[in-house]
Order: sequence, then structure tokens, then C-alpha cells
Amino acid sequence: MLSRTAENLYWTARYIERADSIARLLEVAYRIHLIPNTTEGYQNEWESILAAAGIKHNYLNSNSDITKNKIEYFLLFDPNNSSSVKACIENARNNLKMVRTAVTLEVWNAVNTWYHELANYDKVKYDSKNLPQILDWIKRQVNLIKGTINNTQLLNDGFDFIYLGIFYERADFTARIIDVKYYILLPSSSYVGTQVDNFQWSIMLRSVSAYRGFKWAYGNSQIDYKKIIDFLILSNMCPRSIFYAVDKIQYHLGRLTQFYQSDNAANRNVKIIHKGFVNSNAEEIIDFGLHEFLTKFIDDMSTTYSDLEEVYFLGTDR
Amino acid sequence: MIICMFNEVFDKNKPRVAYKDIVSWANSIPYHTLIKKKNEAENLFKKIGITFSVYNNFDSAERLIPFDMFPRVITKLEWMTIQEGVIQRSLAINAFLRDIYNKCEIIKAKKIPAELVFVNPAYEIKMVGLKVPHNIYSPIIGTDIIRTDSRSFRVLEDNCRTPSGVSYMIENREIMMRMFPELFEKINIEPVENYSSYLLDILKSLAPRKCEGDPKIVILTPGPLNSAYYEHSYLADTMGVELVQGSDLIVEDNITFMRTTQGKQKVDIIYRRIDDDFIDPLSFNETSVIGVPGLFHSYKSGYVNICSAPGSGIADDKAIYTYMPDIIRFYLGEEPKLPSIKTWRCSKPADRKYVLSNLEKLVVKEVHGSGGYGMLIGNSATKTKINSFKNKIKNNPDNYIAQPILSLSSVPIFKKDALTPRHVDLRPFTLLGHRKRRLVPGGLTRVALKEGSLVVNSSQGGGVKDTWVLKN
Repeated sequence: MLSRTAENLYWTARYIERADSIARLLEVAYRIHLIPNTTEGYQNEWESILAAAGIKHNYLNSNSDITKNKIEYFLLFDPNNSSSVKACIENARNNLKMVRTAVTLEVWNAVNTWYHELANYDKVKYDSKNLPQILDWIKRQVNLIKGTINNTQLLNDGFDFIYLGIFYERADFTARIIDVKYYILLPSSSYVGTQVDNFQWSIMLRSVSAYRGFKWAYGNSQIDYKKIIDFLILSNMCPRSIFYAVDKIQYHLGRLTQFYQSDNAANRNVKIIHKGFVNSNAEEIIDFGLHEFLTKFIDDMSTTYSDLEEVYFLGTDR
Repeated sequence: MIICMFNEVFDKNKPRVAYKDIVSWANSIPYHTLIKKKNEAENLFKKIGITFSVYNNFDSAERLIPFDMFPRVITKLEWMTIQEGVIQRSLAINAFLRDIYNKCEIIKAKKIPAELVFVNPAYEIKMVGLKVPHNIYSPIIGTDIIRTDSRSFRVLEDNCRTPSGVSYMIENREIMMRMFPELFEKINIEPVENYSSYLLDILKSLAPRKCEGDPKIVILTPGPLNSAYYEHSYLADTMGVELVQGSDLIVEDNITFMRTTQGKQKVDIIYRRIDDDFIDPLSFNETSVIGVPGLFHSYKSGYVNICSAPGSGIADDKAIYTYMPDIIRFYLGEEPKLPSIKTWRCSKPADRKYVLSNLEKLVVKEVHGSGGYGMLIGNSATKTKINSFKNKIKNNPDNYIAQPILSLSSVPIFKKDALTPRHVDLRPFTLLGHRKRRLVPGGLTRVALKEGSLVVNSSQGGGVKDTWVLKN
């Protein structure tokens, strides 16, 4: 397979996953907005959405105040935001257009339809009232695309590059959102374990669409952050957990090394990271420091991405 | 000079034999069904991504090419004439290219003026004396054909660099079969879907000297912003070859490789869809960022074949076109099977004088122009435009040729609920390989959608139709 094809497939998938993440983030914002503003700590939810998406600075460059409507527009369509959902959809399609012969017609159709439907939402002036409908549409299309990939793509190397894109993005997103919640949002350590704290955690579960999953896994017991760490970082059941993403990355890198019959640094290093997760538990992570743990994880993963890039995307002899 | 328009479908309001079934079908479709089908077809095109980009069109980067559902029919007999004619022309073009880059016999025989070849910007000096694999310079030739009366088809233009439109030929058929299967049950129509496998077969036969084993073929595209990108990816997909961009290829020790997830892989044949100038910044335009440094040297060393060969474009130059009948006679010893169109060369004083005093009866074209740009259609142009062309011709006569305003034949389009005639042309695609020729029975019919318009180019508001060559 052409190196560029592999790279385009990888980025197509990353952008699809990113659009999905932003939609889920906005859904949380929408929920919060419906809950009466009585407890302290709620207001900064809007800021937290921006922080979690990593675009607060960018937002403040083109907006003077933080309002619900503006943030929604910014995250969905604003041309000033290079990581809006609109930009993600366009980038996903552009990447795929370069390699449209590497996916089935059905996968292309799913992505292309998504792109064309975007115009229906983008051409009218943004109205907050339509948010639920827009978010449903984004998530529905993402699920449709992923379903089409699963149902129609040949399980060859291209398939692995698509899934590496999805799970690199997911690992990164989940790590960042936990980090933001824990490190930036809590006003001070004295809040740990309070109502506010627990509320924040439940919000976070929702933002990764894992709220129900958590309830299934842990019954109706009180949400506390040890369980959350266990569930969102270490669980192999929760499809949004970091470990789940790492596990899939390891799986697909392993398949590639078999397919190409040659091992590489990316595969070896992901294996080491994976092993670290298997041997870890929530207490250990808390002792190490959650923020420190997540920062190290994000760094380690980006090193493995560089390895991946070098071995597969540059296409020179090694 | 205006030749009467030939209606391909109706003869004094009665449908011709070949069109009988189609006309009664067209008249039987209720208007609302037609609208529904039209929307369906457009959605299909959009979904599949069959769009084209128009240069200098900033508000809509991608547009659908308008598709008209009334098919264009060519009888078996008519097709035989066309087929023989375009193959003859394609052979002559390749013989001509081989000659002007080697022995120059046609110039020595004074059949064509030397300066027309050697001073021509499309003449590629670097190709002189070079041995081209199997002597095929231009393996894929699209010939633009118009019809002026019931008997004669004429060649309007040759396209032997990187002719496009073949994917429309195939997709138009796909859409028609999906929309109106009942027509295909009733009428015996030659299939066109074999084009890609023919093309693959032809390209495979053109392996370079230093290729061992099964040749590795790629299509080289300028990228997704190119107007014909859909076609590039379509062909790569249906031939099962990689679609590469310049940055995917590297040349080391004169060998061409592509970058793959398993390291470098040797490439033997490049079906390039980028212009000569951009192929290789080291040998041609040094500012090209879409080309491959060193590719031309790899080609010269016999490690890779570039199809079509650099410098092939001179054969479809409009100034050379006027000599095409002589070129056919010179190399093949035959009379042209498809006539050309009477052409005045403004470089010749007598011709120029005629052209300048008869502009309102003529079409004036730039010698090196394409895509319907830089053209004057005398009978519909404003006084100012005619005067500006007068000056242009006087200032730079070599740059212009003129032809009579031919009324292209017409085939109707669906307009509201009635059929209304519009002008059409036809582009079949001839494939020449090593001791092989292939031609899919069919071609691209382009149709001018504006009433009375003669410009069929998609970049200027033209549309397309499915083209049916009848089996019997």
C-alpha cells in the first residue's frame, strides 16, 4: 500500500472520531444547560468544554465573551476554528478523497453524504434550538460510517490504519478530558469527594458516553473517582476507556507487523505501554498523580505515533 | 458558410429508425417521473462523487456535470466508419510523433513546414533521438467528432496528451441502466464497461526496456483539486493500480520507486495525467511541485515508461491539425477516412486576408488553446469582440486559425416536459499498445445546454449524455 494512502486513511479516521468526540462534548454542555444553576462550579462548565477540546485560547481570539450559543457555533461551524466539526468533516472527506479507491464505495458514500448534508446545517444561521438535532445527525453519521467500515471493508492493512486513527484519537481525547476535569476544573483539592466533585465526574462519564456503561459495570453505587479511574482508564470493557484504545492500537499494530512480516519500534513501545496498564491499578495511578500519569501517557503515545509515521508513512527503506 | 443543422433524431418530425423506440419511450414518460428520475440520477452522481472542479470558480469548488437522460444513438454502420477513422488517425499521429523526434522525413519531404514543428512550444527538444518503448508515444487518444449531415462525421480536434471524459462515458451508462432498465431490455446496446480492462491490457504491453516480469503500473495525478480527479481515481480503482501523486514517487539511481508501507517499490509504467511541463522539475518546469525530480532521466534510461510520452502534445496542436490529412497520407499511404474541417491558417497571408474580412462567418481559435477558452464565434459575437479579435489576429497571426461556423448535429434534451434539440459532439477513446489496438464501442457525447450554443465544454456549461452504439 502507498504510504500516503495509509496516512490518509489514518487521518480520515482520526477526523471522524474527533467530530464524534466534539459532538459528545457538546451534548454534555446541552445537558448542563438544562440543569438549574444552583450549585457553585456549574458556570465554568462552558469554559471546561473549550478547555477539553483544547481550543479555549483560539475561541477567545475571535470571541469576547463565553456564551452558550457562541461556543456551540464555534465548536460546530465557525470558520475561525480549525478543529470545528465542520472542519473535521471536511478534513475527513479531503483525506478520503485522496484515497477513495482504498475504501469501498459504501464507505465513501457514507463519508461523502455526511459532507454534503453538512451544507444543510451550515447554510442557515446557527440556532441553538437545533443543537440536539445536529448532534444526533453527527453521531448517527459517525456510527453509520464506522458500521460501513466494519461491514464492507476488506480486513487488509488499510483496515488497520483506519482503526489506528480511530483509537489514537480516542486515547488522546479521553486522556485529555480526564485531565482537564481533574486538574483544571476542580477549584481546589478540598472539593475532592464533595457533591460538586461527584457531579463533575458524572458529567465526564456522559461526555464520553459511558454513563450508562458505568452504572452497568458498578451497579448503583456512589460515583467516586477511584471507580472512575478504574473505568475510564483501566477497564477493558468500556469502549471509551484509555486502556481499551491502547489494547486496540496494540492489536492493529500487531496485525500490521504480521501482515508485513517485520517488527518495528511503534509496535514494541505500544506493547510496553499496554503492559504498564495491565499491571496497574487505580491506587497506583492516584499515588503517582493522575495529572502526571495522563501527561506521561499522552507523551508516550505521541512518541509511538512518531515511530508509526516513520515506519509506515514515509515509505523509505528501513 | 453556415451549414444547415442536422437533426440526428427526427427527419421532418418523424423519428429516424434508430431512435423510434427511444422517442416513443421519451414521449411516454410522465413529467413528474422524469423529474423524479432526474433528481435520482443527480443524487447518484453526487453520492459517488462524480464532480468536477472549475478553475477560476471560487464559490463552488465542486460541481456536478449536467446529465441529460435522452440517449444519443449511433448505428452499427456509423460506428464502423468512426472506428476505422479514429484508429487510422491514432496510428498516423504516433507515426508522426516518432518521425518528428527522429528522422523528420515528413519535413524533408516538405509536407509540413519545419518551423511549424520545431518552433512549436509543444515540441519537446529533450525527446529528440530518444527511443520510446515500442514506438508508442500516445497510447490513449480522444478524438472529437462532429456530425454535419446524415453521412459525414468530421474530426474537430485530436486529444493525445491526457484526454479526459472516459469515466463519464462509463458512469453515464451505469446511471442509465439503473434509471431505465426497461430500455436496455428492449434495445441491443454495446457495453462500454470493458474500457478499464482494455486500458490495463494496453498499458501492460508498453513495458520499458529494463522492466523484468509483470510491469508495475501506476496512474500519476496532480491531486484532488484537479478537474478530472474523479476520473483518475475511477481508472485506478477499476484497473486495480495505485493512484499516485508526485510526492509518492522517488527516483534513485535512475530507477523510479513509489513509497509504500513496506518501503520502496519499483514502478515500471506511469499513466500520467499531469502535463508535460510538470512531470519533472529537474528536466522541465523547475517550479513544479507536483512532479517527480529525476523522472525524465529514469525514463531516458529505460527504467520507466511515461504514457503519453513527453512532447506528444504537438500532434494535437491546432496548427498541426490542418495538416492531418497530409500526415495520414504520408505515413499510411491512405486517404483519411474521417474528413477534417476546412481551416484557414492566419499565418498564411491569403488565408489571413480572407479571415479578417469574413470574421462574422467564422470560428476563430487560438492555436494552442483548449477547453473552449479564447475562442470567437463570429455570428454571435459583439462588434467589440470581433474588433478585438481583428487586432489580435493582426498582431499575432501565427497564433490563430479559423474554421467555418459548423452547425453541429443535434439530439434533443429533456427540457420541462418537451424535447428540445441541442448541439452535440462525440469523443471516442482509441487505445494503442504494442501490436494491439482497442476501442470501446461508444464515447462521450457532450451537449451544449444553452439554446443555439455550439460550446459543449463542461467548463463552459456543457452537459453529457449516454452514448449508445447499437449492436445491430
